[in-house]
This record gives sequence, C-alpha cells and structure tokens, in this order.
Amino acid sequence: MTAMEMSAGAAKRRGAGGWRWSGRIFLLLLLGFTVMPMIWMFITSLKTGFAAMQYPPQWWPAEPTLENYWRLIDPSGNVGRDFIQYFWNSIWVSTLTTILAVVVAVPAAYAFSRFRFPGRNFLFFAVLLRNMFPAVVFLVPLFILMKALGLVNTHGSLILTYLTFGLPLAIWLLKGFYDNIPVQLEQAARIDGATRFQAFLLIVMPLSTPGIIATSIYSFIGAWNEYIYAYTFLTRHDQMTLPVGIQRFFSENATDWPGLMAATFMMSIPVVVLFLVLQRYFVRALTEGAVKH
Amino acid sequence: MAQVILKDVVKNYGDVYAVNHVSLTVEDGEFVALVGPSGCGKTTTLNLVAGLIPMSGGTVSIGDRDVTDLDPKDRDIAMVFQNYALYPQKSVYKNLAFPLQMRKLPKEEIDKRVQAAAKTLDIVHLLERKPRELSGGQQQRVALGRALVREPRAFLMDEPLSNLDAKLRVQMRSEIKRFHQDLNATIIYVTHDQLEAVTMSDKMAVMNGGFLQQYDSPANVFANPVNMFVASFVGSPAMSLVPLTAASKDGRVVLTGPEGWEMPLSDANGRKALSAKSSKVVLGGRHSTIKVHKSQVPGSVPGKVYTVEPTGDVTFAQVFVSGAVVNVSVAPTFQLRPDEPVFLEFDQDRMHLFDGETEMALRLQ
Repeated sequence: MTAMEMSAGAAKRRGAGGWRWSGRIFLLLLLGFTVMPMIWMFITSLKTGFAAMQYPPQWWPAEPTLENYWRLIDPSGNVGRDFIQYFWNSIWVSTLTTILAVVVAVPAAYAFSRFRFPGRNFLFFAVLLRNMFPAVVFLVPLFILMKALGLVNTHGSLILTYLTFGLPLAIWLLKGFYDNIPVQLEQAARIDGATRFQAFLLIVMPLSTPGIIATSIYSFIGAWNEYIYAYTFLTRHDQMTLPVGIQRFFSENATDWPGLMAATFMMSIPVVVLFLVLQRYFVRALTEGAVKH
Repeated sequence: MAQVILKDVVKNYGDVYAVNHVSLTVEDGEFVALVGPSGCGKTTTLNLVAGLIPMSGGTVSIGDRDVTDLDPKDRDIAMVFQNYALYPQKSVYKNLAFPLQMRKLPKEEIDKRVQAAAKTLDIVHLLERKPRELSGGQQQRVALGRALVREPRAFLMDEPLSNLDAKLRVQMRSEIKRFHQDLNATIIYVTHDQLEAVTMSDKMAVMNGGFLQQYDSPANVFANPVNMFVASFVGSPAMSLVPLTAASKDGRVVLTGPEGWEMPLSDANGRKALSAKSSKVVLGGRHSTIKVHKSQVPGSVPGKVYTVEPTGDVTFAQVFVSGAVVNVSVAPTFQLRPDEPVFLEFDQDRMHLFDGETEMALRLQ
C-alpha cells in the first residue's frame, strides 16, 4: 500500500467517524424531542398547584410532593375512587379486546397465509379496507348501530368497536409472521405423526409467539389510548375509561395540571411495563433461526 | 420397508396438469430417483405420495395398503426436505424424539431409539444443540436421523442435497447411498440434478411437463433414451441433437444437412431412419461416441469449432453442425481453436436417431 492510499484510507475512516458522530447527535436530539414531554409530565406531577403555574417555571420543584399520586390511589377520596374505577375499566376493555383480537386473528391469519380459497384476495382486501378510513367516519354509524343493539353505555360497545380496528391490523401483522414460517415445518410435523391441528399447535404457534406478542401489544395500546369512541359511547361515570375519565381534571375555572400529569403518568405505566416485560421474548424470538433459506 | 405403487396419479389445478397420469412401481428396498427440470411435477408427485396435497385422480399404495385417502401421519412414511425443516425451537434430541412422541411410545423406548439413530449418523455430540447452531451438513444428518428414527415403510427425499456446498454434496451423496444399502430402505428421491439420479439410484423416473417420460435403470436410460427430452436431459455434457433430413440414395439411406452434405447410414440405422413419420430425422450423439478430424474422412460431417473447454483429463468442445451445437471431447493434446473447421465422425453403432415430428426415439421394429 502506498502512502497516498494509506492517507486516503485514514480520511475515509475519519469521514465514517464524522458520520457516526453526527448520527449520534441526531439521535440524541430525536430522543430529547420524544422524552422531554414525558420528563416534564413527571416533574409537573410532583408540583403543587401553585408551583405548576409559576413563571418562570421551576425546572425542579422547590418542594416536590407525591400528594397528587396519593390522591389518585386513595379509594376513600372522590378523585381516587373514580380514578381507580377508570383504571380498571381501561384494563378490562383493553385486555378483553386484545384477547379477542388474538383469538380471532390467529386462525384467520393462518388461513390467509396457508390456504388458497375462492375470494381470498377480496376478503383480505376487505379486512384492510376498514383501516383505510379515519376513525371518525364511522363514529355516527357505529353509534346508531350500538344504540340499536342496546350496547350504548356498555363496555361491549367499545370492545366491538376496538376489534373493528384492532382485528384487521392483527390479522395483517400475523399473516406476515405465518408467511415467514416455512410450510415444510408443518408438512414435516404431519408426516412425523401430527394432525394438521397438532402441527399448528405444537410447531407453528410457538414459532409465531413474537408475532402474537407484537400483535397483542399493538391492540392493547390501541384500545388503551382510544378516546373519541369511548367519549361518544359512554356517558355514565362508572363506565368511563382512562382517556375520557381524566378529562375531569379540566374544569371550567381552572385546570389541575399536577393532578392531570400524575394521572397521565399513571396511565402510561401499564404500557411501558408491558413493553419492558415482553420485549425480551420479542427480541429473542425474532433472532431464532428457523431453517436454512 | 415396503413397495410403493402409483397408479394413474393425476394432480391438476384447473387446466394445468402438474402431474399427468403417472404410474410407477417402486419395489421394496429400491432407490428410485424422480428427476426432471424445475416445474416438471417431480416434487408434486412426491407430495402426493406423502399425502401433503390432495390427489385429483389415481391411487397410491404403500405396502399392501391403499393410502390414497389417508392423512400423511397414517401413511407410515418419513420425509427429508430440501430446507431440512428441522423444528427450530427444539433441540436436536427433541427433533429426533418428536415423531416417536407423536406415536406415543414410552419414554425409555424413545430414548433408546434416539440414541441409536444419533449413533448411526454420528451426531451424538450434537443432541443438546439447537438446529441453528449446526452446520449445513450437520442439519442434513439430523434431518436424516428424524426420518430414520421411526423405521418407516418408505423414505421420501425432496432435493436433500441441493442446499449443501459442492464438496459436502458429494460426501453426503455417498452417505445417503450407504444409508440406503445398510437399511435396505425403500427411497423415493427427488432431484433436478441428473448426475445425482444417475449415481445414486437403482431406477430413475425422468419427468417433464407433468408426464413420466421414462422409468428404467440409469444405465438403460443413458443408453436408450426414449425421446429427445430424455436424451438431452441425462448425461453430462448432454447428448447433442442435430435436425437433418433422411433420403434414399443408390440403395442406401443418407442423412443430409441443409448445406447439402451427406452422411450415409448403416443398414440398421437406415431402416430406423425410414420408419420416421416424415423425412425429418434428428441425429443424436454423445460426446464420447463422436470422433473429431481435422480433415474429411468418409462418413464425417463438416462443422466449425465454437468454444474449447480444457478440463485437464479431457478437453470438451462445442462444434456448430448445421446450426446445432454438438458437444465433443478430445484428448488434451489435440489442439483445437475457435472458428476452426473440423469434421465429425458419428459412431454408427452408438448414434441415436429420433423422429423429427414426434421427438420419439426410432427403434428397429
């Protein structure tokens, strides 16, 4: 190698290093952009109502307090009693939506992935069609439908509605996972003595675990965060889910910012926990080698 | 082990016939290769024998049982797949044990058989590993082990060597052959590689376009191909085919090229040529039966060298004769240059003649 080539190589390395650093700075900026609101949410939740309104703002509260959180989880107070109720409502609606979505989506996605039947493409398109419209388009029709079914002011109306969003996405996601599982694995199992169903249960299902987990997370978060339908279909206080329920921190006269922030912080905990617990399986399962391609 | 009989087997998707009325018998303990180009229906045929796809017509029997309507699990067969299809979430041990667990064998029996199979295939040290931690050759052995552990009536193998590198492929080829001899196993083996079929099988079934073209021992298929497809598919390099015209001249039959040259045929070949439906006759010759001359000798035909490929032991060359490519081989000391005019002498006793209309081999009646 000549000296010139060597210096050219060094320049190239330096150049690559420069790119790496600018990449890191960009990521750091992006991280700040996404994390800052959450940090600010947490800081505000530790303030008193007075401190929250001060100008210039306190970057860290002079007298941090957990009072806002105690209020939320104290079942003897008004706020606490309602908040706990909303919380359970949300857990119940989101969990049931997720379970139903997965139970229906797993066989549906498997069928779309493995079988060739008349109308298959049309049906798959029809499944996705629902997700091509903004949610609000269906608000009034669905409300009329729910009213006719006598489901207004029940959690059933929300679960059914969330399934119409969650299910197509779940089917679509899971189909992708099944498409990537070689059909020969099932064929091998069937020759090895399994029925078609056993082959699915013992071989394919375990391999699609990451897909099922990803699908569950998506559908849970979708249901957990949903606001507009919950706001429209439910009028009774004891039925409300968290996104609607925490509206009560806004009032005509003043907004209880620290209370609101504490509630939203609490609301984000289940989702974060879900992600942290499941991501381990998620990553492990994704890196599992299946067959030689 | 058992006999496998396919009778008039059909698989069609609408008007497309993937397998078109195929009948063949695999004798007990025989190694049969299903061979043909991609899309010829060989893998579909194997899947029909396995019961993985429903048949459109015909019957399959294994041993003395008609299995046409049975599920794969009830056919008592084992299969080795091209991508091995090892269960990725299971250890090698559990992969081998799976077929036995499905048949609800007692635990001690399963362990005994898994250990025995592992020992046969020299994979005992790999039993606790996951498939992804194995090399291609090791995965291949595990796949064989999973087939072998159950002592099935027949083994089906779908291009089991095509994912291996060239060196390993040659090694595994002899191991599978050994496996067949030791177990006296009935094996149906799908491959697109005619060399694998020729070297490994007792009989080869050559398929094309869903039809079974020829079913015979490799030696017979090589020596007496029934039609132009089989002739050009089996052998490496392939048999060369030159379309010509047959005519009678002075009491002898001659083949004439479009440029006007004539090649007299022996009496036997002359009678074959005249039995063609029309005067169109295709001359076929393998490289080993064609002599190359630098100057015209009686009975030789003119050609022009296209490419020269020395391989060390022997030099292959492609020669244009009347627009067709003819593969020839010469000693490495014989100098040939591209574009050089040469004369080819076909061995009258070992040349092949085909009907230009039907593409079938012309035989003496």
